Amino acid sequence: MLTRGTLIYISQRIVLIGFTVLAVSSLVFLGIHRLPGDALFSEHFRGNEEQILLHHYGLDQPLWVQYKDYVAGVVTRGDLGESLVNRGVKITPLVLREFTVSAEVGLVALVFTIGLGMVLGVVAAVRQNTWLDYVLTTTSVIGYSMPSFVVATLLLLVFAVWLDNVTNGAFFYQLGWHGTYGSFGEIWLPAFALGFPYASIVARLTRASMLEVIRQDYIRTARAKGLRETVIMVRHALRNALIPVTTVLGPLVIGIITGGVIIENIFGIPGLGKEFAQSILSRDYSIVIGVFTMYAAMVGLANLGVDLLYVVIDPRIRY
Amino acid sequence: MATAIVAARVMVPPAQASLWSDAWRRLRRNRLALVSAFYLIFLVGIAVLGIFWTPYRMSAVGIAQPYSGPSAAHLLGADGVGRDMLSRLIIGAQISLVVGVGTQVLVLAVGVPIGLLAGYYRGWFDSVVSFVINVFYGIPDLLVALTLVFLLGPSLTNIIIAIVATRWMDMTRLVRGQTLSLREREFIEAARASGAKPTKILFGHVLPNALGPIIVQATFGIPAAILFEAFLSFLGVGIQPPTPSWGSMAADGLAALRIAPHIVLVPAIALSITLMAFNFLGDGLRDALDPRSRR
Repeated sequence: MLTRGTLIYISQRIVLIGFTVLAVSSLVFLGIHRLPGDALFSEHFRGNEEQILLHHYGLDQPLWVQYKDYVAGVVTRGDLGESLVNRGVKITPLVLREFTVSAEVGLVALVFTIGLGMVLGVVAAVRQNTWLDYVLTTTSVIGYSMPSFVVATLLLLVFAVWLDNVTNGAFFYQLGWHGTYGSFGEIWLPAFALGFPYASIVARLTRASMLEVIRQDYIRTARAKGLRETVIMVRHALRNALIPVTTVLGPLVIGIITGGVIIENIFGIPGLGKEFAQSILSRDYSIVIGVFTMYAAMVGLANLGVDLLYVVIDPRIRY
Repeated sequence: MATAIVAARVMVPPAQASLWSDAWRRLRRNRLALVSAFYLIFLVGIAVLGIFWTPYRMSAVGIAQPYSGPSAAHLLGADGVGRDMLSRLIIGAQISLVVGVGTQVLVLAVGVPIGLLAGYYRGWFDSVVSFVINVFYGIPDLLVALTLVFLLGPSLTNIIIAIVATRWMDMTRLVRGQTLSLREREFIEAARASGAKPTKILFGHVLPNALGPIIVQATFGIPAAILFEAFLSFLGVGIQPPTPSWGSMAADGLAALRIAPHIVLVPAIALSITLMAFNFLGDGLRDALDPRSRR
């Protein structure tokens, strides 16, 4: 599987990701300087404090010197600079930590998406044209028509407000996030909200391709051999039905990364998405640049991961 | 002799059914699409009405008890600073529709000519277009849109531009593909042989035959654009206050979820129903305009 061709392909892709990340962060870095407003605007300075601060951040230099220093810092030391609002906070460790938090929630959401979508799709296909099929198909249309923040607020209303009232506070979802990585009790709801719209898409696709596969001759052969129905469905049908589903994996992972921005803000998860909204609102431009850079890297790596996963699932694909 | 006359009378050609009347007949039979279409007409009516009249001024603060629920005076209640929710919802509908339709008009204006030219002339122009499309597909749409809105500044026009930058590729690719297959057909060859000018061939012969898929694609593009705008506004980088957008209204209400859930629910439900209506209408149009693709 890990042939020489694959390794060359991976290294090419990583170089390409590097260039994309640099291009995105350069664009944002240069573009930010034509924006009105500045992060030090609302502070009260005495004497030459402002000059000292501007010098500290290198903001007294001409733009091209700032840009040169920035790129040199990123490329040689992976240094994204320092927060403009919280003095002394280094951005690289900050966004790296937030990246792992976002990735954690995203991975759990991915498990929900694929697991739930596959199970529902298989059930709907096996029970085709029964009430169960109709309920599942309709739910999935509603599921992918609803924006993720609507799903999230509805879930919050049910689990954090309604359940609390009904059980007099015995069971409810506590909104909030303890420590850096939270606990499973805190992750499952945001992950579900994040994954639900995509689970609907996976369920629709799985159902459609299952329906095609279970009419194939080799399924009839398997039945004729007297195999148990569950074995037929899982081993023979599902495995082949999954190949068309893998084609949406790429958009799905990107969607989960994108949706995470909203979900993190709703559920108060200290990840990249929350930082992104906060830093824009507080005009902390150096963090904005750092978050953009991190997102570009995240998307590039996710795409690469998905492309490599194809090889594992479908051995006919080679790079 | 007599029988021949009778036969000729019987052979009166049946009423001609064009593609469009056929499609309209099929669309009418699709209840879900029809209901969606009526809802959308209603929504457009409300939004147009909102230009001239809303129950209250959408930015008037404190005209109702803050966080108060629906009542006779304020049908959908009030938000956290006592603004009338119904008035804000109507203005939000205007914003959503302008963004949705405006985006698709621009996408058509960009995608159709480029797609036609690339598909018809092929050659280097086609290679360049295909390359640019692939580059744009490689960058996630959120990054493109956020970067653009962030750099251009949040205004209605800039939001539309940012969404167009993430959406023009689908239409261009579709038109290009349609043109590629149509240009090999006999009637195009006949038009060329009879000396028709390229513009006449492209806009008189190729485009009308590709119109069905283009309409379907544009219909699906509208909800995608509306969702994107709501998404940007929810994050606070979209439509700026005091102008409401369904996304920013939902974001405002989130803090008061426990005491006044209607502030979130009203825009969220309006948004969901509207997106669903566009999706159902798109499904219906696809089935009606291209019966072969029925799943």
